[in-house]
Amino acid sequence: MNENVILEAKGICKSFSGVPVLHQVDFLVRKGEVHALMGENGAGKSTLIKILTGVYTKDSGSVFWEGKEAVINSYKDCQRLGMACIYQELSVIPPLTVAQNVFLGREPRKLGLIDHKKMNEMTRELIEKYDFPLEPTALVSNLGIGLRQLVEILKGLSCDSRLLIMDEPTASLSGKEAESLFSIIDTLRKKGVSIIYISHRLEEVYKLSDRLTVLRDGKNAAVLNHDEIEPRKVIETMIGKVMDESAGNGNEMRKNSNEVVLEVQNLSDETGCFHNICFKAHKGEILGLGGLIGAGRTELVRAIYGIDHYREGTIFLNGEKLYPSPKRSIRAGFGFVPEDRRGQGFIPLLSVNKNIALTNYDRIKKNGLAVSDKAELEMCREAIAQIDIRPADPEKQVGLMSGGNQQKVVLGKWLMRDLKVLIVDEPTAGIDVGAKGEIYGILEELAKNGVVVILVSSDLEELIRVSHRILVMRKGSIIREFDNGVVTQSMVLEAASGLMEKEVS
Amino acid sequence: MKQTTIRRLISLGMLGALVLLFSCMSSYYLNGDNLLEILRDASVAGIIGVGVTYVIITAGIDLSTGSCMALVGMTMANVYRYTLLPIWMMLLIGILVGLAAGLFNGLVVAKLHLPEFIATLATMGIFRALTYAIAIRDEGGVITSQAMTYSSFVKWGGAVGKIHYVSIAFVIVVILGQLILKKTRFGTNLYAVGANKKAAELSGINISKTQIIAYMVVGLCSAIGAIFTTARIQSTTALLGNGFEFDPIAAAVVGGVSLSGGYGDIVGTFIGALFMSALDNGVLKLQMNTAYQYVIKGAIIILVVMFDAWYNGRMEKLAVEKGRKEAVGS
Amino acid sequence: MRGINISKFSKPVILAVFMLVLTVLRPSSFLTVGNLSNVLWSISVYGIMVCGTIFVFLIGGIDLSIGSLCGLCAVTVVKIIRYFEYSDTGVVLGILAALTVGILAGLIHGAIITRFRVPAFLITFATQIIFLGLSMILTNNKILSCLQPELFTDIGMKKIFSFPVPIYIMLLIALISWFILRKTALGRYVYAVGGNRPASRLSGISDTKIMILAYVFSGFTTAIGGVVLASMTQQCMATTGSGYETEVITAAVIGGVSLLGGEGTVSGALFGAILIGLLNNGLNLLSVPSTEHGLVKGIVIIIAVGFDALQHQEKFKNWLNQFKMKKTQEAA
Repeated sequence: MNENVILEAKGICKSFSGVPVLHQVDFLVRKGEVHALMGENGAGKSTLIKILTGVYTKDSGSVFWEGKEAVINSYKDCQRLGMACIYQELSVIPPLTVAQNVFLGREPRKLGLIDHKKMNEMTRELIEKYDFPLEPTALVSNLGIGLRQLVEILKGLSCDSRLLIMDEPTASLSGKEAESLFSIIDTLRKKGVSIIYISHRLEEVYKLSDRLTVLRDGKNAAVLNHDEIEPRKVIETMIGKVMDESAGNGNEMRKNSNEVVLEVQNLSDETGCFHNICFKAHKGEILGLGGLIGAGRTELVRAIYGIDHYREGTIFLNGEKLYPSPKRSIRAGFGFVPEDRRGQGFIPLLSVNKNIALTNYDRIKKNGLAVSDKAELEMCREAIAQIDIRPADPEKQVGLMSGGNQQKVVLGKWLMRDLKVLIVDEPTAGIDVGAKGEIYGILEELAKNGVVVILVSSDLEELIRVSHRILVMRKGSIIREFDNGVVTQSMVLEAASGLMEKEVS
Repeated sequence: MKQTTIRRLISLGMLGALVLLFSCMSSYYLNGDNLLEILRDASVAGIIGVGVTYVIITAGIDLSTGSCMALVGMTMANVYRYTLLPIWMMLLIGILVGLAAGLFNGLVVAKLHLPEFIATLATMGIFRALTYAIAIRDEGGVITSQAMTYSSFVKWGGAVGKIHYVSIAFVIVVILGQLILKKTRFGTNLYAVGANKKAAELSGINISKTQIIAYMVVGLCSAIGAIFTTARIQSTTALLGNGFEFDPIAAAVVGGVSLSGGYGDIVGTFIGALFMSALDNGVLKLQMNTAYQYVIKGAIIILVVMFDAWYNGRMEKLAVEKGRKEAVGS
Repeated sequence: MRGINISKFSKPVILAVFMLVLTVLRPSSFLTVGNLSNVLWSISVYGIMVCGTIFVFLIGGIDLSIGSLCGLCAVTVVKIIRYFEYSDTGVVLGILAALTVGILAGLIHGAIITRFRVPAFLITFATQIIFLGLSMILTNNKILSCLQPELFTDIGMKKIFSFPVPIYIMLLIALISWFILRKTALGRYVYAVGGNRPASRLSGISDTKIMILAYVFSGFTTAIGGVVLASMTQQCMATTGSGYETEVITAAVIGGVSLLGGEGTVSGALFGAILIGLLNNGLNLLSVPSTEHGLVKGIVIIIAVGFDALQHQEKFKNWLNQFKMKKTQEAA
């Protein structure tokens, strides 16, 4: 075994209820290196990390820590070895000070009382060692998100961790905050701390990582050394196809010369999630919105739908100005399928019938004040038949259905209306292949009937397959439009990662 | 300036303004004797408020403190009447009953996962009913108040010089409470549980245990409150502490303890308890109908809660913006 | 799934078993028309109130002030009748005033809770003491009796077909409440907001409006409860109605209304109210003093809500497992 290796995983296999997620995965991290772990959504990155941190147990394979086989059954085991995970959702305690957060649960004590002086001193030593811009006695509630993340990193380091796992650490950071995080990572590397770095943002990975492991479909696709890390090559290994424009993985884009239905002019929001967005969508068009997580796509479509406020800009529907409010948008012919299906898409305790009817009480027949149960049920049966919701039981609680059918219910309530624009945000996340195909079919059918479909998707295959035209967003602006010729996944990914920025004029 | 410092200044300002207002309106208000009286009357609510503050910091609430007092009082009355146990044993039993009541609350909240206010609303009824069940009755079965006049007990209702024992106890409990909150792991854990349960769990903090102990502290404080109250009125009734659950919560809220958990401390509750007592005292000195106390107290709670919601929301927003503007380290 | 809605079938069964037990224990006194009518009469006030507060429970809120608000409304109506020297005009004006007070209280609750996003229990806990204080000021801490006019006393005491009027009022309110919840779009929106607020907002429902309406309706029925209570007892004082919030919450949770929102029916809540009435009646017949009923009710609340909470946890876990499976399937 090499002296320089801190963590090695060999032949890791893991399956959930018979479905293999990881198959014979090897993973090796050296001392003092930044090792990027990459792969598309669902390639098995997070499962691997969860096995390493003791959240899941592996089916087979072994993990070695500094050459010795290690048993990791809980996060505590992992901490004991010297690993720490910096969580995506911040897990700091705002009302406590930096020092209290760093030593939470392990406070130095004198006569049973916490020795604040010593704790602050220990924290200061740590801060000085790694040169963090923090004060031990500052309250975390007064710190910005970037600094809070540093507190968390410090917390990890305080347990003498020699391996930090960072899962999308820049997801909620501003550009400048991210820059300083990178310099911190650089310092850590020099101090001999190893870092497993997981990110969708390719340019970060190129900049930071010493080595890189790519996973694809739960298997090792490649391990690249620093000088081999080259954008095109990484994208190719992630997608698993050679970048050949004529190969079958692309799709021909087309311009649509129908009348403009939706027009967005100079839309900007308050927090800078998106700015100066302009685009037009034509009748019967499926307009794809591509980009990395955090590029501002969800925020943009929410603002267009009227649920979030925007600072400036105008939205026109068929030439008429639209004022932000979901109620008005719905009346004008909008439909919206949110990203967070369970949290925002449907009412889990209510039946299919009630969920479908929810947006349509202006259309359902009434006897005086009472809603006609018969008309309501008829509408539901129509929706069930039209999009094949299973089980075909109007009284079934939606919360108890499968993901695909839940999504069909969410779609179904919009299909019962006279739609002009349908916005779908990650419509097939967590849905099985069969239902995916059906949902694509529904979207295509809608477009054929003249509806504008705006599709936000991080699934490149889906984005390219379904869209007629693709806009790629990066850091809050639209940086690339694909409206003709064959477009491949790597082209979109390159644009989204900022590798084609030169081409934007 | 720090957000918590500003909040502290606001509660101090409220207390100061109130005292000033009443001093102008009544000449009997601002003198040493009356100020000591205000301290005395703040004490029982304040002592219980210390425990309630712990629970509120964990993002919980306790509505059962008034009933818990009654239960402790009635238990002691039974010991007094039917046994020959010495007074210190009677007090000990009272405290144990308080702890048991707190343990019960804690178990219901932490193990059955009931919403805190529903759990303690239910136990409020249970403790009160138990009090009636063990109430002292005369030969005809009618509930009577039990006089408890043994001098080594009654002295706790009195004073050394001009300072009442209960006030001394209050100050001691406040100091101890603040010390525990700021200087022990348990105290830190309370904040962690209240602010971010998931993070607390990841740091190896036992959440149920923290919650249960917090509720037991409330039980303990309620028992201490019951002892001083019964010693002062030299008797107890089944109605002891009826409606009294309001004052400790009010004290904590005025003192800046956030009901969504994670913020506040005992010193704040101390100020809040003084505020409530100063208000009661002033209404009394002005010979207003005591009912006005209720209306004013209720209105103040609502205003303070509304202010806190607005202020905290604003601060949160500012912190985020600040974080976006000033990048780290540059 | 072990989900053939148990509670749906068990309600009549529980009721029957309960009545059977009481019949066996107290054969001569329990199963008489007089006693049963008495039970219904005694629950009518919180029966009326629960039909309104169920809206608040359904949106996931709580109202702890209904007990003292009920008292305040009772005081209002009695004060006005006395002011108008026991005339029928006074009765009409009094009832209108009481209803206004109730609706206003609901409006204030709803506005504060939705606008400032503060916990409902705290706000209503504070208004509870405010209403109590107002009642004390209005009554000057005295008992105000009101034995006439007939128009007023009939509300609480008159019998039609051997059942007293409050029972009919309760049924009428229940019917209205049932109609709104079961038949109108508004009712569906109430369930939707309680079941998933962000999703309802995305579906174009004005969640704030629905929530305020729920508190207003709760205030409205509480006011009716107050009027009926004043008429039944022909008097009022500051503490009239105190403790009714516990009765109402107990009735609701026994009847399967989830305090987490989105689940529950009027018939269930009414069933809960009747069960409480029988419980009180039974405990009285078994000569348990009324002061000790709280023990039984408190335990009932803990069991009912605890069961609900555990069940939701279970549901949540099931869903989580399902979700994980789906994710991994997709990953494969």
